[in-house]
Amino acid sequence: MAKRPVLTRLAKRPVLTRLAKLESLPIAAVLLTLYLVFMITAPNVFTGHRIYMSFLQTIPPMLVLALGLTFVITAGEIDLSFSAVVAFAGFVFTWWYRTVGEPWSALLLAILAGALVGYINGVLVAKIGVPSIMATLAAQFFWAGLTVLLAGGASWNIKGIQDEALHGIFVGRLFGSIPAQSLWALALTVFCWFLLNRHRFGEEIMFVGDNPNVARVMGINVERTKIKLFTMNGAMAGFAAVLLTTEMNTFWTTQGEGYLLPVMAAVFIGGSSIAGGEGFVVGTFFGAYIIGSLEAGVVATGIGGYWTQLVSGLVMGASVVLNIVIGDGRLAAVSNRVRSWVTPSRDDGG
Amino acid sequence: MKRSTRLITILAVIALIVAACGSDESDSDNAAADMGDEITVYMQMGGNQGDPSTLARTNGAKAAAAALNVKLIEQYSGWDPQVMIEQFKEAAAADPDGIVIMGHPGEDAFASLVADAESRGIVITSGNNPLPTLEAEYQAAGFGYAGADLYAGGYLTGQAMVAAGLQAGDKAVVYDIWHNESRSVSSQGVFDALEAAGLTVEKLDVSDEVDQEASLAIPILTAYLADNPDTKAIGTQHGNVTANLMKVLEAAGKAPGDVIVGGIDLSPATIEGIEAGYVSVSFDQVLYLQGFLPVLQVALNARYLIPGLNINTGVGTVTPANIGEIAPLIEEGIR
Repeated sequence: MAKRPVLTRLAKRPVLTRLAKLESLPIAAVLLTLYLVFMITAPNVFTGHRIYMSFLQTIPPMLVLALGLTFVITAGEIDLSFSAVVAFAGFVFTWWYRTVGEPWSALLLAILAGALVGYINGVLVAKIGVPSIMATLAAQFFWAGLTVLLAGGASWNIKGIQDEALHGIFVGRLFGSIPAQSLWALALTVFCWFLLNRHRFGEEIMFVGDNPNVARVMGINVERTKIKLFTMNGAMAGFAAVLLTTEMNTFWTTQGEGYLLPVMAAVFIGGSSIAGGEGFVVGTFFGAYIIGSLEAGVVATGIGGYWTQLVSGLVMGASVVLNIVIGDGRLAAVSNRVRSWVTPSRDDGG
Repeated sequence: MKRSTRLITILAVIALIVAACGSDESDSDNAAADMGDEITVYMQMGGNQGDPSTLARTNGAKAAAAALNVKLIEQYSGWDPQVMIEQFKEAAAADPDGIVIMGHPGEDAFASLVADAESRGIVITSGNNPLPTLEAEYQAAGFGYAGADLYAGGYLTGQAMVAAGLQAGDKAVVYDIWHNESRSVSSQGVFDALEAAGLTVEKLDVSDEVDQEASLAIPILTAYLADNPDTKAIGTQHGNVTANLMKVLEAAGKAPGDVIVGGIDLSPATIEGIEAGYVSVSFDQVLYLQGFLPVLQVALNARYLIPGLNINTGVGTVTPANIGEIAPLIEEGIR
């Protein structure tokens, strides 16, 4: 109790007040804890900069996909086609660049291709009434198959893209080491947070996810919201495809396939509700970094052979449990009390 | 006897390829028609359509089908042994003239299925991963094998890595799908060759996620190299991981040649890695022939009752020294 006045004084500092109001603090704490554990168990790796730079190199496409999926999950829907969009939009980007030799129009076309896939998904779900899990599962097969067909099954190398300004802007290295894609993904995270939490569109998504009938009564055009939602998710998958293809300088017809489960895990670890009505962009951000760092961290600790996957699964499970315990479980009361000390309610005159 | 059958087969293949390349379309259509009535062949291709470890096999099979008047039904399993078994059942149910299988599910899993299909007159042959007991039992009925001796190929890769500059006492890691024995036969060869040369070798397992999206290997291997800075060599027999190894070494701050890398197959990214000097050697199992020869085998048995031929397609490696000659053929999807 003696410490309360100190905290109350601290509460008057706007930075701390705002910090305490941030969402998804528990999952951020989980990520921090994870990195601290890795720093202790693998100091050679996690006290150097290279491992973090490699995370910033490989996690952004996954994060961009997870951000788009967070909106879909919040609306109470699901999208299983985004991994196929990564392949299809990657094909469009690579084919156009190889054919025309102009990267900016290739970028635009890739995003439009993703948006088109998303729009079709949206129409199937919202207008025709196909359950999103079925519509997007079918889309996953269709667009992956179409990509293979159009590419003739071939992988294409686009070494020339390294000399383009687009390469430097989107996947170049700031100060010689920081991958630019990490900043783009961060900027997109901030944009998505504002969109979901401070924009009418985000509010509509939450209402639709909570109860579509009530949303209709409130005057929300549920169908249009869902179409916009899926279109946006497709466009973001198109952007992720460009980040991935440009970084690797190569297009594979199977690219993106391995993202399906990690991206979904990132969204759910981040706290978004599978039932809809509740989504956490910041949680997804930290969730993506947890999922993307796990296996490398386990390998760095020296656990090799057949143990890697088992330990990765354990750490992932522990992260979810820790997030729930801190966020909603027993420690929630403690966590909320500390938060109330730092950010007094209006009734307290704060 | 074995040598002579190999010679005949190789000559037949060369003749067919030359015929296919040298004649115009109508000539090749006529040649295919001259082979006799169309036969139907189901063929397991292994991975996914278009991936680096599958594309050239598909191209080879299609070329053989076009030259030999074969209706080819391609089956892709993502290298999943269970899917391969299901695909075999589907293929057998369609009562085709022939089925080309891969040995990954193992002889026990295939034994009763192959026996049933053989009893119904379906020609079975194998590729990529051998099934020696079944091959011996049904060789007279056309059961052959076209593929690399995976263990020997891996061993060859390991030896080439040593020749590239490794010494006894150096530390190496072999990164592959160790949790699936049928997919790590080749890597076991790499492992044993390095160990036989006196290196200290560690096994690192490729997870299912990395298996599907190999770019996810970048932070994992970066972490490994940071934790084991004295690592002198990385071996893998995973085609997509090989394709990403240049990016791995760049992320880990390694210059070309700092770490000796031995991989497999020849995707565009692997070629770039070899040309840049990051990939020291890649095992070339000539996937195109692994597609062409099994289709030829079925056609030869179905039409001329020629027994099963056992052909080793994997006896070479590609290095910075010979990549210049081979690269144009890879661009055409032949190598």
